[in-house]
Amino acid sequence: MGLLSPWFLAGLAALALPVYFHLLRKHKSTPVPFSSLMFFERRQQSSIQHRRLQYLLLFSLRTLLLLLLVLAFAGPYLVTTQAASSGGRRLILVAIDNSFSMRRDGLMEEARRQARSIIGGLRPADRAQVISFNRQVSLLGDPTSDQAELRAAIESIRPGDSRSSLSDLVRALGSMARSAGGPVEVHILSDFQKTSMPSGFAELALPAGVTLVPHPLEAGKISNWAVESVVAPARVDDRGKAKITATVAGFHTEAADIRASLLINGKVIESKVGAVPAGGRAVLSFGPVDVPHGANRCEVRIDGGDSFPADDRFLFAMERSDPVRILLVHEGRDTRSPNYFRTALEAASEATFRLETRTPQELSAVSPASFGFVVLANVSSLPKDFEGTLERYVREGGALLVAVGPSAAARGTIPVAGGAVQESRYASRQGERFLLVDWVDGAHPSIESANRWEGIKFYQVFRTEIEGARLLARLSDQTPVFLEKPVGEGRVLVLASTLDNISNDFPLHASFVPFVEKTARYLTGLDETPGSLTVDAFYPLRRVGGRGGVAEVFDPQGRRLLDLAETTSAPGFIVASEGFYEVRRSNGRRELIAANADRRESDFEMIAAETLKLWQGTGEPSAQGGGALPSQTRRRPLWWPVLLAALLAALAESVVAARYLTVSKEGA
Amino acid sequence: MPEQRYLDPEILAGISGLDLLAKTVVEGFIAGLHRSPDFGFSQEFAEYRAYTEGDDLRHVDWNVFARTERCYLKRYRGETNTRLTLLVDASASMGYGSHRLTKLEYARFLAASLFYIAHRQRDAAGLIVFDDEVRNHLHPSSRHGQLMRLLHALERIELGERTDFERPFLHFQQFLFRPGIVAVISDFYEDPQKVVKTIEPLRFRGNELILFHVLDPAEIKPGFRQPVLLVDMESKDSMEVSPEYTEREYPARIDAHIEDLSSRAKRAGLDYCLLDTSRPLDHALREYLVLRQGRM
Repeated sequence: MGLLSPWFLAGLAALALPVYFHLLRKHKSTPVPFSSLMFFERRQQSSIQHRRLQYLLLFSLRTLLLLLLVLAFAGPYLVTTQAASSGGRRLILVAIDNSFSMRRDGLMEEARRQARSIIGGLRPADRAQVISFNRQVSLLGDPTSDQAELRAAIESIRPGDSRSSLSDLVRALGSMARSAGGPVEVHILSDFQKTSMPSGFAELALPAGVTLVPHPLEAGKISNWAVESVVAPARVDDRGKAKITATVAGFHTEAADIRASLLINGKVIESKVGAVPAGGRAVLSFGPVDVPHGANRCEVRIDGGDSFPADDRFLFAMERSDPVRILLVHEGRDTRSPNYFRTALEAASEATFRLETRTPQELSAVSPASFGFVVLANVSSLPKDFEGTLERYVREGGALLVAVGPSAAARGTIPVAGGAVQESRYASRQGERFLLVDWVDGAHPSIESANRWEGIKFYQVFRTEIEGARLLARLSDQTPVFLEKPVGEGRVLVLASTLDNISNDFPLHASFVPFVEKTARYLTGLDETPGSLTVDAFYPLRRVGGRGGVAEVFDPQGRRLLDLAETTSAPGFIVASEGFYEVRRSNGRRELIAANADRRESDFEMIAAETLKLWQGTGEPSAQGGGALPSQTRRRPLWWPVLLAALLAALAESVVAARYLTVSKEGA
Repeated sequence: MPEQRYLDPEILAGISGLDLLAKTVVEGFIAGLHRSPDFGFSQEFAEYRAYTEGDDLRHVDWNVFARTERCYLKRYRGETNTRLTLLVDASASMGYGSHRLTKLEYARFLAASLFYIAHRQRDAAGLIVFDDEVRNHLHPSSRHGQLMRLLHALERIELGERTDFERPFLHFQQFLFRPGIVAVISDFYEDPQKVVKTIEPLRFRGNELILFHVLDPAEIKPGFRQPVLLVDMESKDSMEVSPEYTEREYPARIDAHIEDLSSRAKRAGLDYCLLDTSRPLDHALREYLVLRQGRM
């Protein structure tokens, strides 16, 4: 017998109320005048005591009612012992940690040996199941009594590159216990890293019917060096120079000078020595180094290594490519738009982009697919072939920036994005009448560094109606001035004014340069490819709901990760192991992604034995050492029968109180 | 005769003025009788009596004188007058009432009704109000205006202290030198032996005595359902009383008291009439008229 919430017993103080009202409070009677007491006798003066005796039943019922209510809130339970076999056959779960830290020498072998020992000790009636866990739990077969099958499952476990998470394991145990239909005994074989603990201990609470038997695997030495992180540009411009900084961390180590090298495509480029304090970190800077053309497999590696070499290197990818070509289409008479756009682009990133300008008449032999994105600067008409090609290009992942001016308004519709130009809002530059930006979406990449377009004067804007477009900027008269519409896999940005410093003075503002640069980076997708990812991260292949362009993915071993259907529809993939992943897109573009194990796995400090014991205590009491469980104890909650008794007491109290406390006419 | 023909005491309590009340009660009561008790104005022959000196010559039967040459007086029923003296107890206990009417108010109504009857019959009527001593005394008289004086005296009655029969009775025995009807209206919270012993000597002077024992229904059967603290209205003593006692023992004791008083009164030649204040007055009036008729 026990109480789940014993602090509710403080409510017993309420018992003082009936005690006060029934026993302590002085009785007061209202005198009733009577003609003569000639026929009454003094011996009847014990009536007060008589009445008190009558009220004792009421007092008892009220006290009992309060007592039962307090007890019900305190959550009483009865510990009952139940034979293990009575609720179904016992299931022994052997959970082996196969996280990155289990790559340490001999650790996985020790886990397998202990697992085999547990399997060997099974009783004939027991069933067992082998599971491996890191961030995810994998079931290696169904529950069985077949020793050979279980041993084969144990032997198949290999350490991976994921990090271990005990909270995810506990969640999985909950569903397994529910489906087991009987008592479950979990043997966890793990190095029990402190970093695998969840932030809240409550997440480790074992589900009902689950008994935990931890088997901590100790590798002895816990000091470890690791390259914790590397900061390097994912894309290097045509000049090919890059600066790289690496952080070397020591976990439970003495102070030491650590030498690390930068390798590009397997060749040592540069080595550096850093003084790492005891249990601290050191930052090593490399470069500027020449980065070869194309996608490069790079790594920073600690020279000499330690007892756990798996985390002594950090992989990352750098791509040096030719400048991204940008096509700007403009009317022949409009020479200002290309000039302003080019100047802004070159001022921002000289070698990253290369602008090529064409008039509509020169577009017949031009394919948009060879450009990073296309700019239509107030173009009145496009060749039909080019317009179709342009739409296909955008749908397959290309990008388009449309500046709508008087010429484009004459056309009436917006190319690719659809929608119509409704009207022209002209404010007259000569009259110094203009419109200012009233609201911008500051989170959009094109705008976030452009000082919110403050002070830009718009003399002429064109109200456009584009279905499904996202509003990015609005003028003070509520006219949308900058919009974005996704088209297929690509995107179209629409500026409802021109880039020529006629309809507005935007090109003269300082915010024009970051606007052009960020827009170019956004539309070419240069900022979207990270240099490196952590194992278990998700790499998106296409936008939400997107479909179309083919994207093939190759894992670090060069195997295709996606089947044919998935190459056209999969939104992305999970980076499951360390190494370089390669994504090949239908437009010929190649993306190289480096994956590294979570560096929290490099800290081998174990969970304290007391914490493990506490964790065991959250579940049912268990037999130590993985021995047979003779019986299973259960907590049977008793709050509802207590509450029922309280209800009955309340009913009885009402009846008795109605009998005693009815105001009688004579007594009034 | 069904009792509901008479006015309920609580309705009487709503009538302002004892004269109107007495007239209402008595006229209603008389209308129900088979034979009119209006002796004074009846032409029914009662008796002949020889003329004696001093008799009123107007009552001489001259026809008899013509035949017999003797003077006889012809008497009718209404000419047999008597004296009515009411002794009204005004002690504090008479102020008790479990409903709208207290015992004293009931006694007032009864006294007023009896005075009205006496007035109609040309009987002399007088009043003595007492508690532990005589509070008011109006000599019996049949003079004009006596009824209003009596009613006025009744209205002025105020509750006094405790009841003591000895002192007031010794006091007013000296006024009752002429025989008549003496009615005592009281709740008789006294030893029956003492009551009868005190009142009995009045009968020796030729008086017809009647005891109107006025009790509230709650005094006969209290019916308390829970313990109560009772306060004696005369002595101011208090006592906690349990409902069991009032239900079992008290009724037996009050019944024994009534029975004792009744039997002792009858043994002493006194008429006894128990009156419940929740019942109409006709019972008391009938008792009085029977007694009155017996005196003629």
